[in-house]
Order: sequence, then structure tokens, then C-alpha cells
Amino acid sequence: MTPDIITFPNEKPEHPFTLQTMGGFMTNNFWSYFCGGCGYGIIAHLFDKVFLEQKLDPLLHPLVIGIGCYTQILPLLPVDSQRVCTLHGRAPAIATGIKLANPAMKPIIFTGDGDCLGIGGNHFIHLCRRNLDCVVLLFNNSIYGMTGGQAAPTTPQGYSSMTTLGKVFERPMDGVKLALAAGATYVARITVAHPRTLMKYMKRAIKHAGTSVIEIMTPCVTYFGRKNVNQEGKRMDSGGILIDWLKAHSVWNNQAKLLSEPELNDKFVLGEFKDDRATPEYAAEYERVKQQSMRS
Amino acid sequence: MCMANDNKRFLPMGKQVMMGNIAMAEGALAGGLNFFAGYPITPSTEVPEHLVSRLPECGGAFIQMEDELASINAVLGASIAGAKAMTATSGPGTALMAETISMGASLEIPFVICDVQRNGPGTGLVTAPHHNDVFQCKYSGNGEYEVIAYAPMSCQELYDLTIEAFNAAETYRCPTYIMSDAYLGHLHEPVVIAAADDVQQRVVDRQFLDHANPEKFTFKDNQGNIMIPPAPVLGTPNFPTYFFSQPHGSDGIPMNENQVIKPLSYLLDKITNNVEKIARTQSYMIDDAEIIIIAYGLPARVSYRVVNMARQAGIKAGLFRLVTLWPFPYEQVKQVLAEAKAVVVPEMNFGLMAGEVERAKRLDIPLYKVPKIAELHEPGEILAVIKKAAEVMA
Repeated sequence: MTPDIITFPNEKPEHPFTLQTMGGFMTNNFWSYFCGGCGYGIIAHLFDKVFLEQKLDPLLHPLVIGIGCYTQILPLLPVDSQRVCTLHGRAPAIATGIKLANPAMKPIIFTGDGDCLGIGGNHFIHLCRRNLDCVVLLFNNSIYGMTGGQAAPTTPQGYSSMTTLGKVFERPMDGVKLALAAGATYVARITVAHPRTLMKYMKRAIKHAGTSVIEIMTPCVTYFGRKNVNQEGKRMDSGGILIDWLKAHSVWNNQAKLLSEPELNDKFVLGEFKDDRATPEYAAEYERVKQQSMRS
Repeated sequence: MCMANDNKRFLPMGKQVMMGNIAMAEGALAGGLNFFAGYPITPSTEVPEHLVSRLPECGGAFIQMEDELASINAVLGASIAGAKAMTATSGPGTALMAETISMGASLEIPFVICDVQRNGPGTGLVTAPHHNDVFQCKYSGNGEYEVIAYAPMSCQELYDLTIEAFNAAETYRCPTYIMSDAYLGHLHEPVVIAAADDVQQRVVDRQFLDHANPEKFTFKDNQGNIMIPPAPVLGTPNFPTYFFSQPHGSDGIPMNENQVIKPLSYLLDKITNNVEKIARTQSYMIDDAEIIIIAYGLPARVSYRVVNMARQAGIKAGLFRLVTLWPFPYEQVKQVLAEAKAVVVPEMNFGLMAGEVERAKRLDIPLYKVPKIAELHEPGEILAVIKKAAEVMA
């Protein structure tokens, strides 16, 4: 613990790797591990706003957090919320246990592309299949950031990573299509460059009874941007360039209908894809069956 | 929290014939189970098949997950949310669960794993018993941590020790195993069920953190003895701000490298300092015994008869039975073997726990392993080894 950072309580620590102190918490010297230009700070800020605006009961909305760069989002989340850090990829399974043990709760799962579509893919599929009442915030930065920029299941074709020979030739995974196929009942995709829409989707997801999946495209400057170039051949090593790249590669789903398959290949289709309120939710259905069983 | 419907939770008092796996499931219900997540695996399938209807009746929740990884994680999640949770599996399933069991030990979240052991390695002969998970249950996960493991030898014990396993998990806040096997799981035997009130008195309920009584909220008392405060429950105001499987202090704040040793040694000390309280053993005719059989699980049951046969043949044999495998009672084994001249370890494997006995026994006495794979010993096989040991002694 370095005590010297308490000296300037209202300033952000200069170095991103400054150690956390309790003094920092007390003096509002909020710190963040995130690199400059990272999207997770924006997501945390917007989530906090939604959490407070909607007056969510922190005791009934546990935040189940997977493993990735975004695990460091912890100190930026609402101060009275309950945060459970899980193992890599297992957040959906732990949320299932929490929800069934206490059906009054609505877990909010923070997960990443490697966490949710890579190692925890199976848990994610079956969470969507059961339509368990919870929110999945899937942060997609197209790279494994915390381990140092290795190729993720979502790294687009033609881009570089630390563990790719040349350019990626594997086809990337589409989290939205997977969630739709698996049976999630609220599915949307948005980028951090559209903060108001992101907040709107978050509110809808929290009110939705059933599995809500929001894939949030977010920039990784340090590992995705630094290794890759944009259309103009410029290295994407700043937040602004990557946000522009995200916007240039985004297309809204109503416009996407007019585009052909090859044109959509390197695009992220944004918007709401499904809002199905008729499908019964697992925990409620189980509670109904359980009550019958208890009466008999 | 699941409301307990206590009328249906306990079986009516009396004697009834039950299959081992079902006795274990009923023992879990009596022990306060209110969440079960599992994935079908031979030979443990009767446990979920029985609990699917019995558990909702008692107010609990049952779910069949997509794999063993998900099962144990759901169990962990439910236990974090305050439910007494359990899963049932076999060796390959336990291997998949290792990661989360290690995490549960680190988070000090109580849960029970029923390991109905089957032959291995790999797929093995799936319907054959083989006590080959006795080391896996303790050493499979990453990191150093302690677990509690029970090794029942009859359907009656499967019922009773499962209740006890739930109590131990709640008291010591660590992963707790019941090491059954394919024979024991499918054995049909009479089980004596005590009166519901008597059973209920034995059950340790989930404790909640109470900040009004801070003396309950310490890790060490004034004398320096290890205290185990109750586990935090999600959805109660006392849940820590951060709930990490990183080493953390009583305030839940992650520690840096220099502070890691304290919470880590606490994880080990809370079990190793309480071995006398946790470890359960049974002795049979060991007072004047020269040859001591050390056994657990079904081979222990055979060994009772072997001791009688050996005594008839004029050999002073005795049985020291391990009811709990982990933590291993080194001190007790040392005491028992102090006067012994030979030790015989019949096991349904090639001699795994014999290695632990080797660590506790005197160097000058011989140890005879009696391995038996995928089936149970005949009493004569163990007796032959005892006779051989007696000849060597003479």
C-alpha cells in the first residue's frame, strides 16, 4: 500500500497501476485500473446511472462478475451493490444457483467475449435456453485484454493478435446470433459510442422477465487497437480512433436488411433483435411446479 | 431463501429397506438440503432421480445442469445465496468440478459433494466400484486447501453421515465429500430412521452474520484459538462489498502478496487445528492387537469379520476404521500403531491411503497392502495376508 496518493484526494492517480487504498475510497479518490481509451469506464458509469435511476434494490440485484479486464470494474459499480466475483466463464452457472436459491433476486451478469463465448459458452447457451430471469451484459472488445492481447473467439477476420500467425482467418463468433438461437428472450447489441441507447437497453433488460442479453461493443486500445490498423492504414492506438472504427463498422438492424451478406461480414449489426414477453421464465415456472408439489 | 417444510423433510420413524444412493439423498434432506444441482453420471443417478420429486416437496430447488462444471457452480451460487446445497457425481465429474471446489474452499462457502466412486482412470468400468478418488477429493483443485471427506460403509451410515457432512460443511465452511462407491450406492439394506425431532436436533442450520454481536465475527478469540464466523449470505445487508476468491480480510478487501500468508494459513489451520473434532474413527479389538487393520468404506466392513476370524485362529488382530478420510488423523493412527507389530491396509485400490498410513506408522513395522480392484475383498483374502504377517512376526 502506498500512502502517498492520499495527498491529493481529488485528483485521479497519475499512474493507472497505482495501488488501491482505503484512504482513496474515503476521500473520493476513485481509481481505475482501466487503460486510457477503454470502454469499461463508460459502461460502469452508464450502469451506475441506470442502477440509481431505476432505484434497484441492491440486495435483490446481485452483480455476478466473470473474469476479464472488466473484473476491475468492481470499485466503479454502485457502492451498496453486492458483487460476486466468479471463476472464468462460470458466471451464468453461479447466477443460476443464486436465482433458484432465492427466486426474488435478479442477477446481473457482467461477462466478456472470451468469458461468455469462449470458456463459458456452454453455460451461456443453457442460461438462454432456460430463459432464467437475469441480465447478461456481454462486453465484446474482440480480444483477450487481461492476458495481453491474444485472439478471442470474436476477433474479426483479417485482424492481428498476439497469438495469430499473420491475420486471423477463423470466423468470429456472433454473440447475438448465439443468444437468439439458444432462446434468450431479450437480445440487443450496442456500442459504447451510443451511450443513451445503451442506457435505454439496460433499462429494458432489467424490466424484462427472462434472459436478457446485451452485447456491448467496446474498444480495447492497448491490445486490439495497438496491433491493428483502420481502413486508412492508421494504427488504432487511441480511444477516439477506435470509437470511430466501432462506429464505421456498425450498422443498425433496419439498415442491415438492405445490405447483402458480404457487406455485413465485417459489420456489427446494432439494435434490438428480440423482445419476447410471452415465453415463461424458468424460476417462475419452477416455483409454480414446486408449489403444486408442496401442496400434494 | 427456501422455506423449509419440515413435515415432509424427515422420513417417518422406523426401519425401512433403502438403496444406498437413496439413503444418501434422504440423509441430505434430513440434513437440511434445499438446493441440488447435478448432471447424470453412473453410478450416482439414483440421487437426482430421487431428489427431483422429494426436494421440491420439502421446499427446495432441484435443477439438472448442462455439465458438472455448471452443477458445482450452481451449487456454489446457491450456497452463496444461503441455501444448503449439494451435488452428486462420480470420479470423472469430480475431476471437472475441481476448479470450483478449490474456489469454494477459498471463499469458505459450505457445500457437499457426493462422490459415488467408480472404476477409472478415464471412463473405466463405469459400474464397478473403485476407491480411486480418495486422493482426488483432497488434491484435485489448484492451491492448498483442506477438505472434509466421509467414508460410509453401510446404507445406515450413508443416511447418518450425510447429515453429519452437512453439519461439518456448515461448521467448518469447507467443501465436504461423502465417498460412496458403486457397490455401496446400489446396496439395499435396512435403515433405521430416528424420530423427526431427534434428527432435527442434530442438524446445524445456516448461521448469519450478526453485526450486533461482533464477538461472533472474529477469526481468532482472545486465547488465539481459531474461530469460524458464519458465511456471508447474498441478499443480506452484511454481505461483503467484494466477494472474491482472492485472499481477503474480514472486511472483504483483497490483500497484497505480503498479506496472503495469513488468510491462506487460516484456511488450512481451521481444519488442521480441529482434526480431533472433525476426524471420526472406530476401533475394534485394538487394545491388545499386534496386527492392526486400517480400513475405510466397504473393506472396513469386511475387516470386522476378518478380525473375528483371525482371533479364532489365535492371531491378535484388531481393526482401526477411518470414518473420515480427510483430514487424516495422523496423531490417532500414530497412537494406535504405537504397540503394533504389523499393519494391514485392505483397500479397493492399489494402496492410496496406505501411503498416508505409511507417513504415520513407525518405520520398524511392516505395512501390508491388500489391493482389490473393481470388486470387494473376500474375508479370506485379508485373512491370508494377516496370517502371512503373523508368520513373519513369529
